[in-house]
Amino acid sequence: MEFKPRNYTAERAAHALPRVCADNHPLSVSPSPHRQVDVVDHGNSDFFDPLRGLADNATVSEVQDLESTFSEASTQLPTKEWISFKRFLMQRFPASKMVSISSMSHVLMKGVKTYEKSSTSTHLEELDDPEKYSEDGVKVITRQEYVSRLHELKDEINRAWRANDRVTSLKLSIKVARLLMDTSVLHFYPTLFVLAMDIMDMVGDMVWERIKWKAEFAEDGTRICSLPENFQASDICYDAKETCNNWFCKIGSIRELLPRIYLELAILPCWRFLVDQPEDNLQRLVMMTRGLADPLASAYCRLFIAHCAQKLPSCDIGYLVKCVNDINILLMRIVSAKETTHRNSTDNKRLLFALIEPTIEYIMKCIFKDASERQVDNVLVDLGLGRNQVDLFGSLPCVSIVLHQLLKELPAEIVTSNAVEILHIIERSNDYSFDQCLNYRLLGFRLSERRSQMDIIHVAVDKVIQVVSQNNRLGEYLKVVDAYVDIVLQNQMDNHLNTILGGISNRACNKVVTEDELASLQTILVKLLTHFKCLEDVLALNHFLEILDIMYGSSRSIVNMHVLNMVTRNSYIRDPTTIQMLFEISQALHDDLDFVNVKDDDNHPAHLISRFVRMVDYGTEMERHLTFLVECRGAFGSLNELKETLVHSSNCLAIKTLKDAKKHLSFVKSCMAFSEVTLPSISAPIKQLNLYLETAEVALLCGLVSHSDGLLDSGISCLLSLDFADGSRTLADIEGILSAIQKLCSLLVMVPGNPEKGVTYSPNNILSLVNSKSWMTPGIRTRILCTILTLTATLSQNKLPYHVDNREIFGNDLLFFGDSSYLHELVSLSKSVLQSLVDAIEKEPSRAARGSMALEACNCIASSFVLSHGISPICSKLIETAKLCLSASDKYLQSTIKFLDKNLPNPMVAPSIAV
Amino acid sequence: MSIELKLSRANRIYRPSETLEGKIVVKSASSISHYGIRLTVSGSVSLQVRGGSAGVIESFYGVVKPISILNKSIQVRPSGKIGSGTTEILFSMILRQPGEDNLERFYETFHGANISIQVTICLEKNLLICLCVQRTIDIMRGYLHKALSTTMEFIVESDKADLLERPVSPEMVIFYITQDTQRHPLLHELKSGGFRVAGKMSSQCSLSDPITGELTVEASAVPICSIDIHLLRIESVLLGEKIVTETSLIQTTQIADGDVCRNMTLPIYVILPRLLSCPTILAGPFSIEFKVSIVVSFHSELSKIHSKSDPTTPSIWMALETLPLELVRTR
Repeated sequence: MEFKPRNYTAERAAHALPRVCADNHPLSVSPSPHRQVDVVDHGNSDFFDPLRGLADNATVSEVQDLESTFSEASTQLPTKEWISFKRFLMQRFPASKMVSISSMSHVLMKGVKTYEKSSTSTHLEELDDPEKYSEDGVKVITRQEYVSRLHELKDEINRAWRANDRVTSLKLSIKVARLLMDTSVLHFYPTLFVLAMDIMDMVGDMVWERIKWKAEFAEDGTRICSLPENFQASDICYDAKETCNNWFCKIGSIRELLPRIYLELAILPCWRFLVDQPEDNLQRLVMMTRGLADPLASAYCRLFIAHCAQKLPSCDIGYLVKCVNDINILLMRIVSAKETTHRNSTDNKRLLFALIEPTIEYIMKCIFKDASERQVDNVLVDLGLGRNQVDLFGSLPCVSIVLHQLLKELPAEIVTSNAVEILHIIERSNDYSFDQCLNYRLLGFRLSERRSQMDIIHVAVDKVIQVVSQNNRLGEYLKVVDAYVDIVLQNQMDNHLNTILGGISNRACNKVVTEDELASLQTILVKLLTHFKCLEDVLALNHFLEILDIMYGSSRSIVNMHVLNMVTRNSYIRDPTTIQMLFEISQALHDDLDFVNVKDDDNHPAHLISRFVRMVDYGTEMERHLTFLVECRGAFGSLNELKETLVHSSNCLAIKTLKDAKKHLSFVKSCMAFSEVTLPSISAPIKQLNLYLETAEVALLCGLVSHSDGLLDSGISCLLSLDFADGSRTLADIEGILSAIQKLCSLLVMVPGNPEKGVTYSPNNILSLVNSKSWMTPGIRTRILCTILTLTATLSQNKLPYHVDNREIFGNDLLFFGDSSYLHELVSLSKSVLQSLVDAIEKEPSRAARGSMALEACNCIASSFVLSHGISPICSKLIETAKLCLSASDKYLQSTIKFLDKNLPNPMVAPSIAV
Repeated sequence: MSIELKLSRANRIYRPSETLEGKIVVKSASSISHYGIRLTVSGSVSLQVRGGSAGVIESFYGVVKPISILNKSIQVRPSGKIGSGTTEILFSMILRQPGEDNLERFYETFHGANISIQVTICLEKNLLICLCVQRTIDIMRGYLHKALSTTMEFIVESDKADLLERPVSPEMVIFYITQDTQRHPLLHELKSGGFRVAGKMSSQCSLSDPITGELTVEASAVPICSIDIHLLRIESVLLGEKIVTETSLIQTTQIADGDVCRNMTLPIYVILPRLLSCPTILAGPFSIEFKVSIVVSFHSELSKIHSKSDPTTPSIWMALETLPLELVRTR
């Protein structure tokens, strides 16, 4: 058995690809424009993007599905918006489980068992509100029963209609609408409204369809005409008009106001069959709604007006403005009403405002949805807030909650150009319907939406800061200030920034900061951190650190993480005081680690801390750096990721010292010692193994052979101790181990052999590992064995392919040149490896895998050994195995056979190639 | 076998100058012979006194002789045979020949308070008016069989030519309701606290249009419970030398529910009930007139106790104003 002599320099020259200079950098910006056209060619109708095509179809059919459930009349309204609004309404006010209903809603009673209130509870409630419960027959049903009863009613109406019993349908619909008169259900009212609305919409659609049918078809079912989308009242035949008129007459005869309005609204589009200006009726309905004194009922009725009006083809928004004005007057009446004695009623009013708020919100949305600028001006004037009518500000106050919704929907350019006027209005509307400071806050957010004239912004911000400075409550102060931080930062209003930070610190000291306040503080500090480019600028701000110190808990951790993230993003951290501060921040973060539950891996605190440690650079003060690493190890002992960073950093430090000068050998030794001490505590075995190898390489490079030997030993023993429980090993783990072993073998090429333990001490250890571990698959085993084989062959060469970059370390080629016992040792190792290799291949169950493994082994053997009598039979046996497993035309098989041929002195396998 | 009448119009509304058209549908299992098919249209005003305001004596004379306004008869088919199965016979007749001078005015169809003419004469003391045009067809058949007949009502509305032009700007009546305008006793707190509701309303109204107007609560110390518009009908019949009058509430329309905001204008918009209203008639032996009353009810513990009381009689927690209303048929 004889190793094949190799001339690595010559081989490299022969096998290296010829290199040619390129004209362009392959990653530079492509100068050819036509390529881009190919990519961005969306307009080409021939081009069929299968994904896009499908998506288009899907949305179309979805929309059709949706539309088909609604009648033609309602297709024009933004259905999806309404649906989502309805869902929002029902979810926002979850009703209590029980709903008390007044005796008049006997329509609900059918088939629903009711619970008579126990006398004690009734009595208690009577004490609270003697009026409400004085009537007999207050019944309580569960919310679920109420809802299901309404669904039943809907079905009943539908069924009656299909059975041509339209009178019953109408009667039931009136009963449903009547339910909306009872606002004592409070929380349940929005849900009730939504359910009743569904029924109203359904009835409206059915009536519309019926009259349209009458207009288009004769009584015997023949089509007379087909109505265009924009038909006129004159297109409608007498009969259809009569039917339509009849409906309005029937509805007009309903005694109660509220159901009468609701039902007329439901069939509002039907006015189009009778008159060409159905909008006039809308105006009247808006006026009629004024007759509903109950604020809740009337607000929701106006919401329904806004909804139904969208079914008309075109409509002025004036009626909506009138709605808002009426709501405003109504709320003003509540706000200015004499305070009743007990607190309970104020709470009730607050609840009332909360329940009414969505209606204002929706109507405002409708007003500004597609209003032109001129229209917006008119709206403002109509609402009494026009900019040309300065004297109106005093006379027509706006209820805070209405103002809030208005401010929310106003176009951004109107907000920015009228900022000062709006501030005046906010100042004037200070009532308990809505927190005034939230309006200041909203204005701030609206102003930061777009850049506006400097002078206006300056005046506005000056004013706001002045106003808010008079507020001594931290929470409110923060809410307002938070909204203006962006503007202040963008416009470099440094004095205001100082005032704000000073204001926060004044109000927060000597006080326990609440959760809400913490959240505001957090957003303000994060805004500061994202605005400034470097941490030094932030730290230079007055009170920043003070404020940071006030904070605690998860908010504090989040700000800390932002600080770390900002600092580690760009450059190394060199300033010792900054490092010290960041170290403290990291410590705080580390202590709070349990509180922080961040899913994002990239911003995980552990990750941020180790990134910070990695970015620290003490420059020439390396000893200080190492001390810092030691401190870190002490402080962040529980972070696994950080330990890896520490080892990396200390290795780096060693290399840096090495480059600097040689006199620091003792320092290098302490770096190595640090790494050696840190390494065993790393829990992930593969990472640990790789770090052992890295450190061993560094030690070798520094000339510390004994350290290197020790580290390699530890690496191998860490491999040996590695034992996977069944099923716990993944493919990636196995691949990781394989590549680590391959890396280890290539490292062993440089490591001087230890004459005491024997030169093949380490490879032998690997071999025994391969043979002893049950989790090794035959495939992995084969590849490791091939690697060992290649290693022994390399070590046998007179000149090694590479050496340690340190002149004091000699390679094995110099240490054992011409030593026959050395060579003998290598050969005996090779023999046992060869045997194991052949065994391993035979154990592979999969044929295809076995074939390629055999070929791999064969290639390895042929390039390591001279194909003498001892070796050739093994090769030919492997080739036979491969032939059995693979097809004859397999390229790998053919090239392997060719390779063997070239290396054979006599073509012993040649005849069999003929296949 | 059955006979059925079908008119050309589904709503069965005809004007006197128009041609009444339709068909007679005869369904029979076997063929029948008959002595002729005759169609009779008759219209009359029936006045009736029923219980209530009239005395016991009057009730015996309660049935006032009906006033005939139309009686016409035509022969659709002379005697002959009708085959088995379904036979449709078309007919048409003119209700009033142009130039034909009717003795009586052609009144519109109208059904008063209670159309069920269950003749329990002795007990009925009040009166009832029924203007009703009926058309009967009789199919005379052989003497062994009795005559088959069916009756159907149709609705007569005034001729367009006879109608007034639609009032261009309907006259508005201005009204005030305060504690001082009330002729009935009021709750003490209403008297002392005071209230003022002002508004205006049309005094003449086309039957096809709603009653319009507006109303504003200018002040009220006591919270308002509801504001309703009552539509009242006054039927009068000349009985001997006495005029017997009955007022009935034919529709209530709420225009304010709860204590509405002060100084906010509320619209009055009342659609007239089709079957219960007709043009105002002032004829010799009878008259039909309408009134509107605006009723403001205030919150009061008493109103809850007497919740079932008659809405037309003023209670002490209510204030009201009654205005006359002339109803006309317009083109």
